[in-house]
Amino acid sequence: MSNQSQPLIRMENIVKEFPGVRALGGMTFDVHKGEIHCLVGENGAGKSTLMKILSGAYTPTSGTIYVEGQPYQTLDPELSQQLGIEIVYQENDLVPNMNAVENVFVGKELAKPLGIIDKKGMLRRVRESMREFDISIDPQQKIEDMSVSDQQFVKILKALMNQSKLLILDEPTSMFNVEDAGRVLNLVRTISARGIGIIYISHFLEEVVQIADRITVIRDGEVVRTYDNSKRDVPLSALTLDMVGRPVDTFYQRERFAPGEEKVLEVRKLKLEKHSPPISFSLKRGEILGMFGMVGSGRTEIVRALSGADRFYAGEILLNGKKLHISSPRDAIDAGIAHITEDRQRLGLNLGSSVLENGLMVKLQYMKPSPLYDFKTYAKLVSPVMEGLNVKTPSLMQEVVNLSGGNQQKVVLGKWLISDAQVFVFDEPTRGIDVNAKAEFYRHMTELAKAGKSIIMVSSEMPELISMSDRVLVVREGAVYCELSGGQINEQNIIKLALGVISHD
Amino acid sequence: MTKGRRILKDQRLLLLIIIVVLSATVGIINPRFVRLNNIMAILQQISVLGVLTMAMSMLLISGGIDLSIGNMMTLSGVVVATLLMRGANLLVAVLAGMGVSTLCGLLNGVIIAKSRTMPLIITLGTGQMFNGISLLIAGGSFLQFENKLNFLRTVKLFDFLPLMVIVMLAIVVLMYVLLNKTRFGRRIVAIGGNERNAYLSGIKVDLYKILTYGISGAIVSVAGLIFAARLNAITANAGAGYELDALVAAVIGGVTFDGGRGTVLGAFLGCLLTGIISNALDILGVDAYVKIVITGAIIVGAVVLSNIEKLRRRT
Repeated sequence: MSNQSQPLIRMENIVKEFPGVRALGGMTFDVHKGEIHCLVGENGAGKSTLMKILSGAYTPTSGTIYVEGQPYQTLDPELSQQLGIEIVYQENDLVPNMNAVENVFVGKELAKPLGIIDKKGMLRRVRESMREFDISIDPQQKIEDMSVSDQQFVKILKALMNQSKLLILDEPTSMFNVEDAGRVLNLVRTISARGIGIIYISHFLEEVVQIADRITVIRDGEVVRTYDNSKRDVPLSALTLDMVGRPVDTFYQRERFAPGEEKVLEVRKLKLEKHSPPISFSLKRGEILGMFGMVGSGRTEIVRALSGADRFYAGEILLNGKKLHISSPRDAIDAGIAHITEDRQRLGLNLGSSVLENGLMVKLQYMKPSPLYDFKTYAKLVSPVMEGLNVKTPSLMQEVVNLSGGNQQKVVLGKWLISDAQVFVFDEPTRGIDVNAKAEFYRHMTELAKAGKSIIMVSSEMPELISMSDRVLVVREGAVYCELSGGQINEQNIIKLALGVISHD
Repeated sequence: MTKGRRILKDQRLLLLIIIVVLSATVGIINPRFVRLNNIMAILQQISVLGVLTMAMSMLLISGGIDLSIGNMMTLSGVVVATLLMRGANLLVAVLAGMGVSTLCGLLNGVIIAKSRTMPLIITLGTGQMFNGISLLIAGGSFLQFENKLNFLRTVKLFDFLPLMVIVMLAIVVLMYVLLNKTRFGRRIVAIGGNERNAYLSGIKVDLYKILTYGISGAIVSVAGLIFAARLNAITANAGAGYELDALVAAVIGGVTFDGGRGTVLGAFLGCLLTGIISNALDILGVDAYVKIVITGAIIVGAVVLSNIEKLRRRT
């Protein structure tokens, strides 16, 4: 390899396996000095795994990482930093009670003798960098008082102070309005012009085509294609086609039946915050209504408002034509709305308690108070439901922490079946459970719908969404962007709408 | 944010206003309250607590806590007293007390940093150990050391400011400089604010935690000296409960349990407020038992007030 074409970073045949899952299946990927290489793919396509390998958080199962020609089997966080690899994470990674200058220098403070910090010196260095990269923030403002976009600039600034050669940006604009996003894009261009290589991960394809030198699409842990975007002309439709496009026969085949005509749940002009867009939709008896959106689109927030987990600002929620007053989870439960959360271990279950106790967690509030915990009566109530769901547990007294993910999720569902809920809101119903357990869970969900219950299913797994939903709502920027039904429900339509690539007509 | 809410949010200003209003009110009812010798009495009364509050605040701000400091203070006091009673040189005795207490702090730090266990429970346990060791040394007896620490009370700057008050104020200033001006201090604040971030930024989090507990131990021994000097004697159980008073003073002063937040000045004002309330209730002739009830209620009120911002519930 000649020196001129030697990439800054080259990942060759990187495989990463977790127990039971192949997250990356032989990925090859490189970045040159001063190049902006964008990575796009669905949620869970393997972008963050790839990133964690570069940051040294994960050890690849096989494959080689070349940093300026030097081969490495694995990196660790310290080595990765020494090699000049810096990652700007999506989640907040700053000290909230310190100002920008201090955050930039955490752990690397400039100091005068006796360990007295050199505030002026640090401020000067930050100002120099701000000038070099054309960043305008108030360096002495506390992080917690800053806007989200200014916080993002602080994170980038911090990464740049470490003489970095490769900067990895994970969804740097996902929380921003157009103007702020533009500021970030300009900054990224300035940084690359200084010879720093950039891996840019984003859901916003228009943005990607605007700034990328090359674009790589990944799907299910494999590179689908790498585009040369030096002319900024890669068509968005080509990208979305590559992001999806799974063979249809891999999808679960659910029993199909027409949902009832009557509207069970109606959401009218629901506004989560004062300035958020109004949301309206309805749910019929026996219907499975899918809800899709990219990470940060606001889909979880919508269902959290429905279930009373968060309060909303304005709007109406009607159940069977009657207006509900939901200001706490208890209100929603009283009305018969069940919320199967996306985080069953933390929010859905009491892990140290038994199947029996978890199964009764909701129902018990509605039973005649008894002075003692009446195991026999309770077991009669819980046992048939858990058996009906085929929960694999040695006994009802087993602590749920010992059950598999699939069985834990069934216990959560069982809890709501016991409490006679009418509307079931599933948030990522099969996250982290294996393929067979998934199929079984889908069967239970279908049966639920067949029995006349209504289901809202928030999911970022495209196959799940397409195979299960009667209708699909696409959520984007906090609003229900459009509704798909019947033959309109396919991967390409959904991804394009969720990414805002085409407008719906 | 409006200016009014900003003031409410800054605990230091809020405390200062409360202290001034309270002092003025009590001073009008009973002018004796605002006389110089009473003000000095208040400062002497809080000098032990003031020093302990500094140690506790540093630990809380760094994301830790130490409930053994009451017994740790007594242990160092017992060591000093025992050595003085056996005729040891004053400096030797003081250094030995400081050494023992620093070791106690380091022990806490090593266990907490390396075992990743909750400092709350660990230090409850080590506190018992320290108390047991004090009892082994002193038995149940009063250790009296012939006024050898009297100078802390009797030496006065400008004829009115006792040495023990000067020592307390010096510790407050030192702590302010440590936490705000030094590299070490900013790093422990960063650890308290976001430990993961501090680790990812290359800070040796465990080492800094251990050192923080060690420094806290050294400061605690200073409180031990003042404590012994004020009583002119010490017993093995004398300091139990002081750790909670220090915790309360720090929290009233705006230092929080979740780390990274709080100021040295605020913590000191919190401590001063508890001292003023106690003294004012005495001067107003409030019944001793009623005084306990009122003190408790004021603590609850102050903490609720400081949490007003966070009342909106989210899961």
